Amino acid sequence: MPGGYTGKILRVNLTNKSISQIPTEKYEEFGGGHGIGSAIFFDLVGDQLPFEAFDPRNLIIMMASPFSGTFMPGSGRCEVQGLAPMLYPIEWFGHSNFGGRFTAQLKYAGWDGIVVEGAASEPVWINIVNDKVTIESANGIWGMDTWDTQEEISRRVMPQLKPGEWAELSDSYTTQVPAVVCCGPAGERKSRLGALLHGPGSQAALCGFGGVFGSKNLKAISAIGTGSVPIADPKAFMDARLWFRQFQWDVDNPREPEKFAGRGYSLISGAPSGGNVTNGSLPLIPARAAACASCPRGCRMRLASADSNEAVCAGTMVVSVRGNQKLTRQGNDMMHKLGLGHWQLMPLQGYVNNLAQRGLLGKGKQIDIDLPFDHRGTFGFWEILLRKIAYREEAGNDMAEGCARFAEKYGLLKEDLSKGVIRLTYWGTQEHYDTQTEVEWGFGSLFGERDLMLHMMANYPLHWMAQSGNPYLTAEEASKLYTDAMVPYNGDPYMIDYGDGPTGIYSDSKIKQVAWVKHYEKFWIGAGGFCGWRWPMCITNNTADRRGPTPHAEPRFWNAVTGKKGTFADYMELGHKIYTLDRAIWNLQGRHRDMEVFPDYIYDQKGRGSILPMVVDGKWTYATGAGRTLDRAKVEDFKTRFYKFEGWNPENSYPTRATLEKMGMKKVADVMQSKGKLG
Amino acid sequence: MPGGKKAESEEAVAKKKYSRRDFLVAGGTVAAVDALIATTPAKAALPAASPAPAEVSYPESKGYLVYDSKKCAGCTTCMLACSLTHHGVQSLSLSRIQIMQDSFGKFPNDLQMAPCRQCVVPVCVQNCPTGAAFVDTKNGNVRRIDSSKCIGCKTCIRMCPQQPHRTVWNHIDNKSIKCDLCLETPYWNEKGGPSGKQACVESCPMKAIKFVTQTPDQTETDGYDVNLRNDHWLNLGLVDNSTVVPPAMAQMAKRPMFKPKPKPKQ
Repeated sequence: MPGGYTGKILRVNLTNKSISQIPTEKYEEFGGGHGIGSAIFFDLVGDQLPFEAFDPRNLIIMMASPFSGTFMPGSGRCEVQGLAPMLYPIEWFGHSNFGGRFTAQLKYAGWDGIVVEGAASEPVWINIVNDKVTIESANGIWGMDTWDTQEEISRRVMPQLKPGEWAELSDSYTTQVPAVVCCGPAGERKSRLGALLHGPGSQAALCGFGGVFGSKNLKAISAIGTGSVPIADPKAFMDARLWFRQFQWDVDNPREPEKFAGRGYSLISGAPSGGNVTNGSLPLIPARAAACASCPRGCRMRLASADSNEAVCAGTMVVSVRGNQKLTRQGNDMMHKLGLGHWQLMPLQGYVNNLAQRGLLGKGKQIDIDLPFDHRGTFGFWEILLRKIAYREEAGNDMAEGCARFAEKYGLLKEDLSKGVIRLTYWGTQEHYDTQTEVEWGFGSLFGERDLMLHMMANYPLHWMAQSGNPYLTAEEASKLYTDAMVPYNGDPYMIDYGDGPTGIYSDSKIKQVAWVKHYEKFWIGAGGFCGWRWPMCITNNTADRRGPTPHAEPRFWNAVTGKKGTFADYMELGHKIYTLDRAIWNLQGRHRDMEVFPDYIYDQKGRGSILPMVVDGKWTYATGAGRTLDRAKVEDFKTRFYKFEGWNPENSYPTRATLEKMGMKKVADVMQSKGKLG
Repeated sequence: MPGGKKAESEEAVAKKKYSRRDFLVAGGTVAAVDALIATTPAKAALPAASPAPAEVSYPESKGYLVYDSKKCAGCTTCMLACSLTHHGVQSLSLSRIQIMQDSFGKFPNDLQMAPCRQCVVPVCVQNCPTGAAFVDTKNGNVRRIDSSKCIGCKTCIRMCPQQPHRTVWNHIDNKSIKCDLCLETPYWNEKGGPSGKQACVESCPMKAIKFVTQTPDQTETDGYDVNLRNDHWLNLGLVDNSTVVPPAMAQMAKRPMFKPKPKPKQ
């Protein structure tokens, strides 16, 4: 095998308790992570689709990448894939990922990934210690919250481990503790909000894979290893890592600190610790920046109070305790302990309040649940609400089905979604940024299976740079520099024109941007295990010429690790291939172009806008697009051209045989044809 | 057979290779050293840094790694740079610097950094029975291990007074390894050592490891754990004491929007 791979993927069947291996070489053409995961999913169950997410046939695939376990900057994520119970109206083949050190330990243990199939007859967890893999009883662990689970499993895996000492693992040694990923009480109860937790606050929050764990009677997976990740060209890899320093925030001597210093700017600059939004007012709680494996940013924190440790963004703010940061931190910790996914809890809790105000929800109401609304916004209110959702008490049982299905049960979904009362804009997941303006996020989500959740595509570097009020590039400069990096479509500055003129949001340039986003998402983020808060980096404030490491860094690192010789464009085409495979799987589940429409409010209600580069009256400027609505006919035309661009049949969005065979996926075409889904 | 054991010439004895088992079965450091001395003729000169009386002094290292455990973010880049440059692979277990952390712990006790201290009194050198651990007087007196002489007895590992021990077990080669300040880094294009660069220092994104030439305080464990943070770090909102106000926040507080509203007149 080339460098970066351990050569084998762990396959665990919980139904018959068998443990076997899949040679990574069989799927090497898909790169790693998401690419290999999609290919394995298709091979094992593609021809059986459609079936439901809680069917034992569903798979949990957790793939590492060739970068996992190396010091490739910002590559410490673990990609999780499978049919996703959170997504609506169909439980699409989805993906979620989490940071930390799980994939690193998995690689050191000698595995490129894990495929879990079937369902255990009683609660179990999977124990990976180097080559030794066992299915253990979860007796005494099932029922625990996610923090206690991780602590107990660490104790069971390495009872000999003492903090700050070496521990022996079959004549090799480590100072590290096992990396555990688990579901909480919510997942055990097959909640569609069920998240996977690793550490105190790192969630795979989207898709409801905690619920899939629960459906399989799988409480946790633990990995610890003492092995190595082989590197094809160590000298080149080290040189690349040191070369990359110029793009990092210089913690001792940052560029233009008067302009870029401060935690508020850290989204753009990559300065440490800014991901935790609950420790920013005086007096500050003493804390460190806490990085995922290999990340030079360290956006998380660990605090002297040990609350909100390693949680970021929504993981520190969805549970908002009015006027009290300490209780807000602890409230979000409660969410993590219960294993509730923050990105679904956010619209759900807002909807609960909305329904209460409308007189539809409350004790003895149509939606019967006893919640102390007089104390809304207090820790006590949150605790009652979260526990009722996690433990499926009263109407919490319906809420555990996710926001869309909850609304649907009470006959409210159609109207409330249409009017934007609940903004489940993308397949049952919450709208993130203004869909009418930041359209590549909207289209990228609609042409996917859930919220895009990739801030570094354009959101941080462009929107938040401008939102800061002091952008370091003019709109015209940004359009040139940013799109210079967008190989192979570089040279077209209108790819980031967010205006609604002829070169704007419905243009062929925008089609290229959406395609670029999806291809980058599938290969570099998905197959490479990159963090969406770090990559891509088309521009940066950390260099004199404001150019970021994209598109030079990605292939430089990939080739040094694997020994391959591909170009950035080559790997982007692999991203196109993976995206097309995902599309084929969705088609087999029932996806048709007619389903890929936004809720009515996107077309009928004026958007709030999002400041971005736009061409207005023929000139580049920063503007918000506030008040804009999308045009149905133009969106449909955009879809037609996008499908064609990707090699899919514009009538139904199905990939064509020519496209699939050109990509080397003849067997996918054959299955599609047998199911009547070939484009 | 004529000669019997006596037939084993002095030269043969001198050339005798001592296996790891020779030491381990002897039951510990002292026994192993005794065995070596008893069977080694005087003219089969031991390496310069062979087991020596405790009172023997060693020239101090001309370089040390100090660190700031409050600045470390736990990304393990230093560990992976160490294993990569020395061994050509990325491995936490083969790293000569160890970072240990507890995700659930309380700052600052949630993390420990453990590079080799290049001790003034190098216990590993003192106790190595074969002279594999030695003071490299040609290269800034760095305390090193010559892998060609290491027999894998783990004496240096057992004798290292630090917790965790800074001599590291290479389970691939069955030998001990330790920090050499990057003197021998075959997988790095840079020159290492006290007069060169160190992979962990160069790669640390938080600049939490520093090479110094002045000998750190040997009497305190914390002598190597120093403050490498400046105001730019504080301005990230990362303080080690709640009474500290980052300069940028103090500056912001002077702006009108942060001025307290005047009290309403009674």
